Amino acid sequence: MGMAVALNYCLLIMAAPASGYTSLTAARFGAAVIAQGHILPRVFFLDGGTSNGLATAITAQDEKSPLTEWTQLATAHGTELVLCVSSAVKRGLLDSAEAQRHGFPAATAHPQFALGGLGLLVEAMQSADRVITFGAPE
Amino acid sequence: MSAAARKSVLVVTRHAQPGRSLARAALDTTLATAAFDQPVNLLFLGAGVLQLIPHQDSSAVGVRNLRKVIDSMPLYDVEHCYVDTDAAQRHGLTTADLPSGAILVDVAAQRALFDAHHHILGF
Amino acid sequence: MLHTLNCSPEHPALQDCLKLLRAEDALLLLGDGVYLALAQCSNGQALQATGAALYVLEADARAAGVHARLALGFNVVDDAGFVALTERHARQMAWY
Repeated sequence: MGMAVALNYCLLIMAAPASGYTSLTAARFGAAVIAQGHILPRVFFLDGGTSNGLATAITAQDEKSPLTEWTQLATAHGTELVLCVSSAVKRGLLDSAEAQRHGFPAATAHPQFALGGLGLLVEAMQSADRVITFGAPE
Repeated sequence: MSAAARKSVLVVTRHAQPGRSLARAALDTTLATAAFDQPVNLLFLGAGVLQLIPHQDSSAVGVRNLRKVIDSMPLYDVEHCYVDTDAAQRHGLTTADLPSGAILVDVAAQRALFDAHHHILGF
Repeated sequence: MLHTLNCSPEHPALQDCLKLLRAEDALLLLGDGVYLALAQCSNGQALQATGAALYVLEADARAAGVHARLALGFNVVDDAGFVALTERHARQMAWY
């Protein structure tokens, strides 16, 4: 354990998975936060970062998939993965409700990611001891 | 939520628009934070000051006019807009060009702003 | 406070970061930012002149081949070390 007191972390991800490996770094950081005894209730994906939740992204076999790294955090530790709804739909990331609403046959966002408003980021920041932002140059 | 429990947020916007959607994301985040009654300030740093050039008309390119959004900030209880003095000067922006109530800040004042908030979001 | 820098040495984010960096701050280089830790990098020397504590993320330094030619004064941290930096510093500013 890194510290006697567990801290509450919130991650804000602005880096798109297809531009460099920053989103893999961020997911690894999230796992390390938990491994050090802290809590990570929510990761909020904004702007280009919302592409991390694209269900149909294919990663080369000899590379790590950001999608897998994030969903493992959700599965193993219950971390909520939230895609900013306005950034997400602009990029074609739809959950089943949005897909239905816009007349598309199926969701394009991975089911372990939820679409939500910026209020969910605000809420997470209010309870967080640490907010860590990950962005990447284009 | 009690006032003591509220954590203040400094949104730092450093990219010009419309080249990057990050500028818009920074404004949306600032407005959302204010809408939930959380203390929030906005700092235009480096190339971010280019968002403040007046007389923007984005109708021909077909995207929202960000300067209009910025000018509406006081209506939404965003506490203050701070502007990097050096960058404003470098890009030929005068006080008259800036949104009303904007505060020019030098490096020392920028550092003080960083220290005065619970969380910093770098866009 | 903690600064993280994720951009190449020629990117304008570096100049913005350099202006704000203080001796009591820590800076962690990520992604293309690790090139600033190369011995001979003049911008890296400018970072050292601020007096801030300088760190490089190990995985990224290895990925870039920078780990074997680090300038003196840059400390390598793994993921746990990154978390420790965020424990010590209540605020982070991401430059990219």
